[in-house]
Amino acid sequence: MKLRDFILRRVLLAITVVFGVLTITWILAFIVGDPVTMYINENTPAEAIPAIRAAHGFDEPWPVQYFLYLSNLFQGNWGVSGSSSNMPVLEILALKFPATIELAIVAMIFAIILGIPLGIISATRKDQKIDHFTRIFSLAGVSMPIFWFAFMLKYVLYYYLAVNNLPHLPGGERYDTSTYLDFEFITGFLLLDSLIQGNIPIFLDGLVHLIMPGFALGYLTLAIITRMMRSSMLEVLKEDYITLARSKGLREKVVIYRHALRNAMIPTVTVIGLAFGGLITGAVLTETIFNWPGLGRWAVRSILFADLAAINGFTLLVAIIFVTANLIVDLIYGVLDPRIRFG
Amino acid sequence: MTESREDIVLEVHDLFTNFYTFEGTVRALDGVELFLRRGDTMGLVGETGCGKSVTARSILRLVEPPGKIESGKIIYNEIDKQTGEVKPIDILSLSEEELLDLRGEKIAIVFQDPATYPNPVFRIGDQIAEVVLLHQDLRYDVIDMKIEKLEKSLQGESDPDKQVHIKEKIEYYRELRKDPPEPDKKDAKAAAFRRAVNMLNLVRMPSPESIAMQYPHELSGGMRQRALIAMALACDPGVLICDEATTALDVTVQAQVLKLLNHLKKEIGTSIIIITHDMGVVAETCNWVTVMYAGTTVESCATKNLFTRPLHPYTDGLLTAVPKLHENKERLPQILGSVPNLITPPSGCRFHPRCAYATEQCKSVKPKLTELEPEHWVACHNPLN
Ligand SMILES: Nc1ncnc2c1ncn2[C@@H]1O[C@H](COP(=O)(O)OP(=O)(O)OP(=O)(O)O)[C@@H](O)[C@H]1O
Ligand code: SF4
Ligand SMILES: [Mg+2]
Repeated sequence: MKLRDFILRRVLLAITVVFGVLTITWILAFIVGDPVTMYINENTPAEAIPAIRAAHGFDEPWPVQYFLYLSNLFQGNWGVSGSSSNMPVLEILALKFPATIELAIVAMIFAIILGIPLGIISATRKDQKIDHFTRIFSLAGVSMPIFWFAFMLKYVLYYYLAVNNLPHLPGGERYDTSTYLDFEFITGFLLLDSLIQGNIPIFLDGLVHLIMPGFALGYLTLAIITRMMRSSMLEVLKEDYITLARSKGLREKVVIYRHALRNAMIPTVTVIGLAFGGLITGAVLTETIFNWPGLGRWAVRSILFADLAAINGFTLLVAIIFVTANLIVDLIYGVLDPRIRFG
Repeated sequence: MTESREDIVLEVHDLFTNFYTFEGTVRALDGVELFLRRGDTMGLVGETGCGKSVTARSILRLVEPPGKIESGKIIYNEIDKQTGEVKPIDILSLSEEELLDLRGEKIAIVFQDPATYPNPVFRIGDQIAEVVLLHQDLRYDVIDMKIEKLEKSLQGESDPDKQVHIKEKIEYYRELRKDPPEPDKKDAKAAAFRRAVNMLNLVRMPSPESIAMQYPHELSGGMRQRALIAMALACDPGVLICDEATTALDVTVQAQVLKLLNHLKKEIGTSIIIITHDMGVVAETCNWVTVMYAGTTVESCATKNLFTRPLHPYTDGLLTAVPKLHENKERLPQILGSVPNLITPPSGCRFHPRCAYATEQCKSVKPKLTELEPEHWVACHNPLN
């Protein structure tokens, strides 16, 4: 089938892009500073540095260095993080990654589940009250800085309610660590792990903790999806094939949800893919504000400590997530739009 | 029009449609009158912008905002298949719900541009099947399909015991066919798809089975146009409106499609309205013509009559503007002046600023469409001859 060739081509393309990213991060590390700093910290004696340099091949000519860099990466040697008591970077990434992904997925679910219907309703009731409301809501989403919005949310839903002794949302963390002292992670995904262990209270507690950071992180994406969905829906509803669908005697609901939606989803899916990568970077701020023990907060700390290995590792991971998200988008795209597969 | 409703399948009286734009109100239709006799192929002609498409869309109530049908009457005269009684349907007073039964089933339309009309993300076959599934009774199709399948397996079966078993099953379905039950969704879908393939075959599509599985972008313009015609004819509509259905095609394909339409008309028993500004197409395919000018009907008669004895000054100008092979003129004559702006249309007869026969009366009084000669309707104060 032609769909298989299409998928194969996109996967190959994605691999090429990842290689490109690896090369660029290597060049950057080469330009920005001495790559040996990935393996030393302020306590390393100056006399030891040449030996470390030689041990990692940093005194070799650059093609050899590039090859060493790649082979190290593929062998899982991503350097050690000086700011996290010299733990291997890959290990930390694996440890912190689930918290961030969990947050990003929840944010994405918020954004998609609210954004797509809002966009459709807004387009089909253009210039009516609900449309005006939706447009203000989404304009606010794209124009408010995420850190400011997150602070406001936290101030009202946590601090203000808490000082007035009202029921309030938790102000941070993934779950109530003081109540559930002995909770053990398996996969690192709290919601999943609590369900596996049949621990419903922690599951619910985890959900409650996700509401505020999830929404704060997802609001921008929600706004982007809503606006995109609205405008592409309006565009599609003007198309001739919609008139044709109506001329067949199809119900307006069928015209919108079968004939228009599929076409309008095509540009929206692109935006969703790009936004998912954006969510991981957005998590840097959200996690810092909500004390979320994820990658973002760790990356901020690494930057403050000029921990090059950690920054490099984070950059690579984000790049890989970006590429993967776009690959998935391409595949969905191919399923949605038959014209793409042969292009 | 004094004829009985049995002869006339579709009639439009005094139809007004406006478009409310920023520049002002476009008075696109200004009292359009037309009728279509059962079994006829009628040409609807006129210059670009005269309101042919708006008329077609108004008939199906497909005028979208900022457009609005203001007033008038559109009647579809349906003949009850069992009793043979004529039931007039007043289209403009139908509810949204009732309208759904009219569109695609009783009146179908083929639009101007095959490039933009089929939905790009669905297979051709599914798009045709969709309209079949919506309007047609598929109970018999489903049973026939089952019987066919069993008969096929009977041929490949050598075990006599099993043969008997299959024969019993066929018998059972034959019995069931006398009063078939509602089919389930999957069977109905398969039956509708089978009909879609049949329709593609009917419009002379080469290898209809594989075309049905293809997407619109994989077909050529002419094939797409045929697919759209197949879609429109899928439910045996009483009236088929072709809005410049062939204009986008090259001449040979155009001729093929037109021939096909007239052939299908006999097979399905549909009456056809062909919208065009090509008088050649009218001469070749239509037995009746209605001429429009700036949102009004100016003349309506048999095609032969129109070409030999036009009574309206505009029609006369329109016909002399058609080039003839045996004449060798430096320049083609044209109707002087230009198409009026429909936001501030001329008063009285909308043609008066361009008409050589205009009198004072023409500027203030709008002429009514009247049967000046037998079977020849004209809207003019000073008709030719
Ligand atoms: N969506 C719209 N908005 C504003 N005016 C419109 C709209 N659609 C049609 N009109 C106006 O209605 C009038 C009739 O248009 P219509 O499309 O029916 O012409 P037509 O006879 O089909 O022309 P053509 O031969 O070019 O297809 C035109 O003057 C046009 O300006
Ligand atoms: S009514 Fe008058 S202006 Fe109009 S076509 Fe006839 S003669 Fe000309
Ligand atoms: Mg037109």
